[in-house]
Amino acid sequence: MVMNPTQKPRKKAEGGLVIAKRRFVTGVTIPLLLYESLGIFVLGWAFVLMFFDYSSGRLGGPILGLGGSNPFVGLGNFIGMIKGTSVEASLFRTSLLNTLIFAVAILPLNLAITLPLAWLLESIGDRFKALYRTIYFLPVLTSSVGVALIWMSMYDPQAGWINAIIRFFGGTPISWLSDPHAGVAGVSIAMWAVILAYLWQDYGYNMVIFIAALQGVPPELKEAALIDGAGPWQAFIKITLPLIRPTMLFVCVMTMLSSFQVFDIIQVMTNGEPNNQTQVLMLDIYKNAFRYQNLGWAAAESFVLFLIVMAVTIIQMRLLRTEWEY
Amino acid sequence: MTTNTFPAEVRTRKPFAWGKFFSQFLLYFILTLGISFTLLPFVMMILSSFKTNLEVLQVPPTFWPKTFTLENYIKIFNDPKLPLLRFYGNSAFVSIFNVVATLFTSSLVGYMFAKFEFPGKKILFGWFLTMMMIPTQITMIPSYLILARLHLINSLWGLVIFSAVDAFGIFMLRQFCETLPSELLDAARIDGASEWQIYLRIVLPQLGAPLATLGILGFMGNWNAYLWPMIVLQKIEVRTLPIILTWFNSTHTGQGALVMAATVLIIMPILIVFLFFQRWIVQGFTMTGFK
Repeated sequence: MVMNPTQKPRKKAEGGLVIAKRRFVTGVTIPLLLYESLGIFVLGWAFVLMFFDYSSGRLGGPILGLGGSNPFVGLGNFIGMIKGTSVEASLFRTSLLNTLIFAVAILPLNLAITLPLAWLLESIGDRFKALYRTIYFLPVLTSSVGVALIWMSMYDPQAGWINAIIRFFGGTPISWLSDPHAGVAGVSIAMWAVILAYLWQDYGYNMVIFIAALQGVPPELKEAALIDGAGPWQAFIKITLPLIRPTMLFVCVMTMLSSFQVFDIIQVMTNGEPNNQTQVLMLDIYKNAFRYQNLGWAAAESFVLFLIVMAVTIIQMRLLRTEWEY
Repeated sequence: MTTNTFPAEVRTRKPFAWGKFFSQFLLYFILTLGISFTLLPFVMMILSSFKTNLEVLQVPPTFWPKTFTLENYIKIFNDPKLPLLRFYGNSAFVSIFNVVATLFTSSLVGYMFAKFEFPGKKILFGWFLTMMMIPTQITMIPSYLILARLHLINSLWGLVIFSAVDAFGIFMLRQFCETLPSELLDAARIDGASEWQIYLRIVLPQLGAPLATLGILGFMGNWNAYLWPMIVLQKIEVRTLPIILTWFNSTHTGQGALVMAATVLIIMPILIVFLFFQRWIVQGFTMTGFK
């Protein structure tokens, strides 16, 4: 820059600008820090709670009601989860198992619906595609309570449509949401019923993601494969699928994560019944915390769920990293 | 010349067309099956809401209402215990407040992280990234205890107080703000604009598309939220729509048609609005991978 007399006032103005910038940053960060310290406080409280036998019904010690009648139990809650014989401990293990069953069943079923349908949608015109996508997306936009009520009316043992179809084909009607003895593949029928309802609500989301990913696959690659004599199925397996692998992994993880944290639809449809066969972790945490006032235990349970969610995320990151190297 | 090439082409085309016809037929058959499976529950809900409560108990169920009646809707509109407008108002307040608050904080903080240098910036941003990973079930219990101590249970303010800052929104808008040319901002500074003016007049208008996406996704999430509102809003009159719907269902057992009419009234209006924004919602989902 050339030194000239006009430089001087501008330098002064820049000094003013620096001050104005600093003032702006302080004006934003200080309220933000205050607000976020609330978040830290909440996290800290959550962390401390899981080492106490804490109930909001008891008065307890002077600091946050901890201590006194809400005693410190150390790792007692976690030890109880692993080998406790109390009702809550065995219910925790049931819930954990149910959550795993739910998540493990949802993932392949979801992929088996969404990937082929998204692939089929590829080969139709844009106008139709938009319409189909809109319709498949409707349940995703619907409140899960609404979804639960709609499916409850269809699962109704007497007047429900699903049993009507079964009767039409000469089968015996089933009490979908309340029969504790019926089951398929070792999983109770009520669990299958909520899995189906959840699938119905959720598949549009993954489908939209798959449609977007498939659109990103360059058509020349597919055409080249077809010209070289590959069938459409082979082209899909050999060309398209490897190209959308990052999306596949992403979809798998997102589906797993949200199904590990399922709550709304099950709480409305069965509330964990029959015989706790649909009791999932979130539902167990909710009941312990807000029904039975057993907050220390519930906090410990949420921590376990958090660890599972973290583990799934980390596994995903590993998989994605190998993908990048590839 | 034409006679030489033509028959060959016809020969290869004809059997192919049959296969194509069959595969097209199969394609549309499967797609229609999928569409029916997706749409039928909605259709049945709407049709049931026009039946009498006796007809929905009938075995086998009727598809089309035998006696088409509006009595369920009339009953709901005249139910003094179910002032729907009030509950719509509650849901609208919660959703709009959350969206406005998070859009404001996300854009402001995102802009600051993108365009300003200050000590501790990296630590602060890392902290936000960490907060993004913490799921609600961890913070739910202490948040409830705090609200109980502040006497904010049953208050719509209590419901929104913890969600005024959204780590995900900050993260996303920071990325957008980084693409804004710094020269533009500096030019405005030299022209004498204050920092707040720059944020309001230059930065915000540039963020239209990501703000719309975040706003619609946030609105949707809040409108359909169930667990946290159920914990905080225990009195009936302050409840939001999804919790009112479960409450209505549990207080009207055995009146299937009435419950379906309530479901229609509670989920359909917003579903139609969402449909108009569908393109942006889909874009948002695919862009952010966030539900």
